[in-house]
Amino acid sequence: MQHCTPEQLALAALREPLPADDSAHLATCEACRSEVASLQRAVDAVAVPQLAAPGPAVAPPPAVWDAIVAATGVSATVRDDVVADPPAAEPVRAATVLPFRPRRRPALLVAAAVLAGAVVGAGAVAVVQNGDDGEAVTAVALDPLADNEASGRAEVVELEDGSRVVRVELDAPALDAEYYEIWLIDRDVVDMVPLGVVRPGTQTVELPADLDLGRFPLVDVSVEPLDGDPTHSGVSVARGELDT
Amino acid sequence: MLAEEGVQHPFEPGRSGASERHGAPVSELVAVRPLRLGSVRGMATDRRQARPAAAEPDDREIGRRFAAGDEQALALAYERWAGQIHGMAVRAFGPGPDAEDVTQQTFVSAWTGRAGYRADKGPLPGWLVGVARHKIADTWARRDKQRRETEAAMSEAQAGPAERVTAGVDTQVADRILVLDELDLLGQPQRGIIELAFFEDLTHAQIAERTGLPLGTVKSHIRRTLERLRTRLEVDGAALHA
Repeated sequence: MQHCTPEQLALAALREPLPADDSAHLATCEACRSEVASLQRAVDAVAVPQLAAPGPAVAPPPAVWDAIVAATGVSATVRDDVVADPPAAEPVRAATVLPFRPRRRPALLVAAAVLAGAVVGAGAVAVVQNGDDGEAVTAVALDPLADNEASGRAEVVELEDGSRVVRVELDAPALDAEYYEIWLIDRDVVDMVPLGVVRPGTQTVELPADLDLGRFPLVDVSVEPLDGDPTHSGVSVARGELDT
Repeated sequence: MLAEEGVQHPFEPGRSGASERHGAPVSELVAVRPLRLGSVRGMATDRRQARPAAAEPDDREIGRRFAAGDEQALALAYERWAGQIHGMAVRAFGPGPDAEDVTQQTFVSAWTGRAGYRADKGPLPGWLVGVARHKIADTWARRDKQRRETEAAMSEAQAGPAERVTAGVDTQVADRILVLDELDLLGQPQRGIIELAFFEDLTHAQIAERTGLPLGTVKSHIRRTLERLRTRLEVDGAALHA
């Protein structure tokens, strides 16, 4: 058959679906494919989500306007509420990272939880009294998930001042360019509290005061890549359930 | 990466009030974040107070006064669109100094380069977004250059003279800057058409519907613009790597 029209090839470069006969021709025609590829270089250069049309607005901190005034020398003023620090300004800035994270993560976690189901039940839960420094409230074995070699033990300890910590013994291979993180997760494996970075060996991480352990009974160890993404990677290697 | 995130709320003239409602719900996120990492709940509620639209100049008027050098128009533009611009910057770099620099540089550049803005180039907010894209791409290019220089320096320190690697340029990082630059040179409606395709991920049929232009016109503009961008990349991209 004859070649695709130049217009069709441009649409193909934008990854628009073509009519069936054009798309069948394109699949087999080297000349047309090479034309699409050469047009696509520009498309690919800017086809990144960061350059897409603006999504959710984020209020810049007041210092940004001050810097613009300083750099331009304008004497104009903006409305007070635009540059006023809202009471929640700092947390909001941190929280705005959320919408750009993959939404399929929770689904991955649910899959991991299903895998874990059988193993978690087998985790030996013990209540330990009167440790040397602080009183162990509850302890749980961390069992490997799937084929992982990671295992260990987590112990919730109440210190004399009433604060609680988790003493973690992790028996797991050392990681290269990744790290272990420990989480408390609810039974639905949707909501979770990150407790911090852990490494093979024994260490203590603090528990947020007033955190309801009954709501987050799963102790989970994940492998996190060094990607700056603060959310759970979806890769859990060991888990146990606190008896609360 | 979430390609779909950026394209759901087109940045259109007259929609600044509406689009602000997509802003992060303040108090809910504060409460949500510590316990709900990995969840995306609570992103869509309307917490921003409606802005008193009456008695404020419309977007077109702000654009006209901005181009004419009215300082208060810069303040009005900031009030109205800084959230959108900063949202883009935060999407690219996360909250913090890099994003704040991008937002600041966008408004400073737009102001000092206001002679380059004319109402016939489209609404001011769209033009500001174009400036912000340049600032984001520039920041990427600067980081890429620093990374490569560091790597080259390390390899020079470790390797013998025969194995030295010179700091190169990432093709896509360089292409991106050339494409954004060439887009600035396009007239309307070509620029608007290709931006809808590139940045809002619309099909040519959707673009025709949005702009009211005939399908055939949209298709031939897309074709000619992609050819023009290809030429720019072949000429200047080749020069960069020579």
